Amino acid sequence: MSILEIRDLTKTFDGIKAVDSFSAGFEEGQITALVGPNGAGKTTLFNLINGFIKPDSGEILFKGKNIVGLSPYRIARLGIGRIFQDVRIFNRLSALDNVLCAFNDLKGEGVFYSVFLRWKMEAEERYYIQKALELLKFVGLEDKAGELAENLSYGQQKLLSIARLLACGADVLLLDEPTAGVNPQMVGKLLELIKDLAKSGKTLIIIEHNMNVVVEVANWVYFMDEGQVTSFGLPADVLGDPEVRKAYIGI
Amino acid sequence: MNYLLHILIFISIYSILSLSLNLLVGYAGLISFCHAAFYGAGAYISTLLMMKAGFGFIPAFIIAIAGSVLISFLVSLPSLRLRGDYFVLATLGFQIIFFSLLYNWVSLTRGPYGIPGIPQPRFFGLQIESMGSYFVFAAVLALFCGLFVYLIGNSPFGRVLKAIREDEVYTAALGKNVMLYKVKAFALAAGLAAVSGVLFAGYMRYIDPTSFTMNESLFIISIIIIGGTGNQAGPLIGTVLMILLPEILRFLRIPDAIAANMREIIYGLLIILIMRYRPQGIKGEFKFQ
Repeated sequence: MSILEIRDLTKTFDGIKAVDSFSAGFEEGQITALVGPNGAGKTTLFNLINGFIKPDSGEILFKGKNIVGLSPYRIARLGIGRIFQDVRIFNRLSALDNVLCAFNDLKGEGVFYSVFLRWKMEAEERYYIQKALELLKFVGLEDKAGELAENLSYGQQKLLSIARLLACGADVLLLDEPTAGVNPQMVGKLLELIKDLAKSGKTLIIIEHNMNVVVEVANWVYFMDEGQVTSFGLPADVLGDPEVRKAYIGI
Repeated sequence: MNYLLHILIFISIYSILSLSLNLLVGYAGLISFCHAAFYGAGAYISTLLMMKAGFGFIPAFIIAIAGSVLISFLVSLPSLRLRGDYFVLATLGFQIIFFSLLYNWVSLTRGPYGIPGIPQPRFFGLQIESMGSYFVFAAVLALFCGLFVYLIGNSPFGRVLKAIREDEVYTAALGKNVMLYKVKAFALAAGLAAVSGVLFAGYMRYIDPTSFTMNESLFIISIIIIGGTGNQAGPLIGTVLMILLPEILRFLRIPDAIAANMREIIYGLLIILIMRYRPQGIKGEFKFQ
């Protein structure tokens, strides 16, 4: 059974079908790429999955449970995490604090606990700081822990956003153009990370315009155009499809 | 000596106000224009309970805090769904409504006549009578409130508030119930402001609605804009500065009628200069944009 299954999802903005009866299944440990021209509905699909917007019709089943209508934070708690096209880092927090914010179920996030059970809170903090440092190390930012996030390079911010995503413990990760605007050396590092995540059992859905990236990391590719899936399959097949080439690249 | 104590008592009262408003503005990034309403709620609730219902100081004090927190839900639950400027306007609206209530509900609050003869705080056999003892009382409360705010600010709770300030949408996408955090922050700020209100009423022994106006809310905001937000030092520096500044005019022997206007001009000028040259305040980490 797919960990995430989408059935007949439709969303209309002012009469235009941004996502038009989209159906797909995403398997555990697999990397699926969504490709297609701008305005094809890829980011809208992400917004629908993590609850920022509500679909007109259709179902989104996560681990067999319909999550349509839940608020974004509940969907995140269930285990769907996301990074945005623009990194959306917490600028004036340190890299370490950025990651610490992402852990859920910290007792210290309660007011009473943080004031009257201070010593317990501090012990809990030490444990999570350790975990956060491990995640920063995993993405290669261990020496930037104390740095304000706004002082990191764009590529480092992307890495930080991945560390933050991992801290929130999601099983399904939605990555919106993870390599856009990142310098080439950093892209290689990001791709390694993405593959490692899939190996560790995470389900990744990636919006990506760079076809080399798609071919390198994706197990499956959905080609979307005007809200619909027009082609689906292995990367080589989809990207080799004459219709896709025509719609996307114009040749 | 009494003059000095008077100033120190006011610094204590206003440091609680500015530190608590900082939880909203500096940590959660919520600019609220109704802090004086919660300050007034504390003053009026405790006063009315003691004078009309015969409550002792401690129960009146506690109920004043609880009442202020409850009122904060009336504001926060509907208005926190609004974003940015709309939230600011909603708090402004509440401030105006609250002042009108105090001013016009004459049978309860005596409206513009105010309430004279407020009893001095008395608890556990202690009677806070002299200026000196009132200062100690105010300072101890300010210290406790300051410690409370410090512990909250430097905790995972405070960290999430800062994350909300930075990017509310992403904080939700990470699995945080943003609305709940904001409601909590608002309630804490309101409860602490009520402590100031009780201190003020007990010290002045007379309250009327003009102490809890829109201008008062603006004054508290200017304290933290000038001092700086997002940590505890900024609001404290701002409080000391803004309380002491008008006192300088007193020593310049400027007539009272002119001094009052001068004070407003100096506050206004100070804010303009700070916004232009040091938008994060004297010691702050959060720039107003």
